Amino acid sequence: MELKDMKLRDMRKALDSKQISAKELAEGYFDNIKKYDGEIKSYITVTEELAYEQAQKAQDIIDKGEAKPLTGIPVAVKDNICTKGVKTTCASKILENFIPPYDATVMEKLNAQNIVMLGKTSMDEFAMGGSTQTSAFAKTVNPYNKGCVPGGSSGGSAAAVSARLAPIALGTDTGGSIRQPASFCGVTGIKPTYSRVSRYGLVAFASSLDQIGAIGLDAHDCGILLNAICGFDIHDGTSAREAVPDFTSTIGESMKGVKIALPKEYFAEGIDADVRETVMQAAEQYKAMGAELIECSMPSLKYAVSCYYLLACAEAASNLSRYDGIKYGHRTSRDCDSYEELIVRSRSEGFGDEVKRRILLGNYCLSSGYYDAYYRKALALRQLVRKEYNDIFEKCDIILTPTAPTVAYSPEKTADPVSMYQADICTVTVNIAGLPAISTTCGYDKNGMPIGMSLIGKKFREQDIIKAADAFEQGFTPVLPKM
Amino acid sequence: MVKYLADLSKLEFSEEKLEETAGQMTDIIGLMDTVKEIDVTYDAYKDNHDVFLPELRADSVVPSMATDRIVSNAVSSDNCFVVPKVVE
Repeated sequence: MELKDMKLRDMRKALDSKQISAKELAEGYFDNIKKYDGEIKSYITVTEELAYEQAQKAQDIIDKGEAKPLTGIPVAVKDNICTKGVKTTCASKILENFIPPYDATVMEKLNAQNIVMLGKTSMDEFAMGGSTQTSAFAKTVNPYNKGCVPGGSSGGSAAAVSARLAPIALGTDTGGSIRQPASFCGVTGIKPTYSRVSRYGLVAFASSLDQIGAIGLDAHDCGILLNAICGFDIHDGTSAREAVPDFTSTIGESMKGVKIALPKEYFAEGIDADVRETVMQAAEQYKAMGAELIECSMPSLKYAVSCYYLLACAEAASNLSRYDGIKYGHRTSRDCDSYEELIVRSRSEGFGDEVKRRILLGNYCLSSGYYDAYYRKALALRQLVRKEYNDIFEKCDIILTPTAPTVAYSPEKTADPVSMYQADICTVTVNIAGLPAISTTCGYDKNGMPIGMSLIGKKFREQDIIKAADAFEQGFTPVLPKM
Repeated sequence: MVKYLADLSKLEFSEEKLEETAGQMTDIIGLMDTVKEIDVTYDAYKDNHDVFLPELRADSVVPSMATDRIVSNAVSSDNCFVVPKVVE
């Protein structure tokens, strides 16, 4: 089996049986990165030297027969997750030279398994965007069509996995930032239940919505990575004390009798015909496996994008107020006469246009006179969205929707902020309600661009959606981009 | 309005950029205005009465990060952050 076709479980077998060493495995990916990433631009920082040190340590553990599931496995990490001693930029000029003095909890957990970190992947600045075109350092392209965006904000992670520049990657999802790029790049991405994974060391965008998750070649691989990163963390007051099951344990179980709901609003006007038909065909395949399809409705979807942006930007305006050019991050080189001037200049030079727009919107909806009409209304809508999900889940086990209204598009289409926000319609309610969801490829359009479907699960039932995604993947032959 | 928000946000824009941003903000707020169409009321009690309160952490002293690591990403002197003079 060629390196490019290997899944994590193939790698585990190959490493444990000494068919390949941890160093050789890492070398294979660095060869690919050197060959292809000049064009794909999926990484901001490549950590080759560190990786070989980690590979040596991993190999010692493997040789002793003490390997854990991810020992020696190469992993790419989104550049908003703090990595001790390795630059973490959030794809922003304001953090261009930031070297975290500590590891995020997810990195501590992965390092405890002796992973091999390949590097830090590009993203939209501060995870604000759906195209990876707001990155200050690497505007990633789609491996299927280099004239198209990879989606975002975890576009670097998704493109790296799709182009086989990493076998698995960490991403983060605030409004669809794992699922939508996974869909655009023809790979699988899971956003776990809010609070499943510690956010300690994840650079904050919108704290009530942010969640770390996995992007891989299939649902099984995503489950393996998820097993390693979930669990309560004393450093994150919102992290859940929920038991963490083996998320891959349900893989292979029958889909017979599983109730899958299809909210009609997700298949209405605004969703491309190709996307709608392909997702409906996938639903029929579930039916053929013995699942029961149920039609349902989510009327609040009409308000979801506005609700999401009001909540997310309000939180972002608050979270990003910490960037003052003093404690860390970009500091203006111009002489400043006052503390105020230093802050204003540093922030204005450091943040990009989209981040500035979102800070302005956040402060607008939190301002006196607008708070009730916008922010408080968005809080009310969040309760409505949660109620509608609860009502639907009384009648079903899983909800099936398209992941995005369209396939990947050209970068020129990202110029209008409003149309970019509206394109998040299929993903944001999952974050608003704090639910788990997985996106996997269910077909290709006439130009060969991937189409993703999303399976949304009940709170803390990631194993249900991993099982369902895997069941579909078993009967589906993905066409990965030619490299 | 955008100038006021920029001040509130500790951001500055050139005249040209301010005009461009104002136009974009008008469109964005137009999209946000859809929330005004629906009659829903926020119930703060619902969001807070069943929040899981984890056990409080023990009130014990634990090692904190060393000062040199804390200032490692800043303009610093003698392990202190350096800021412009703020007193006359």
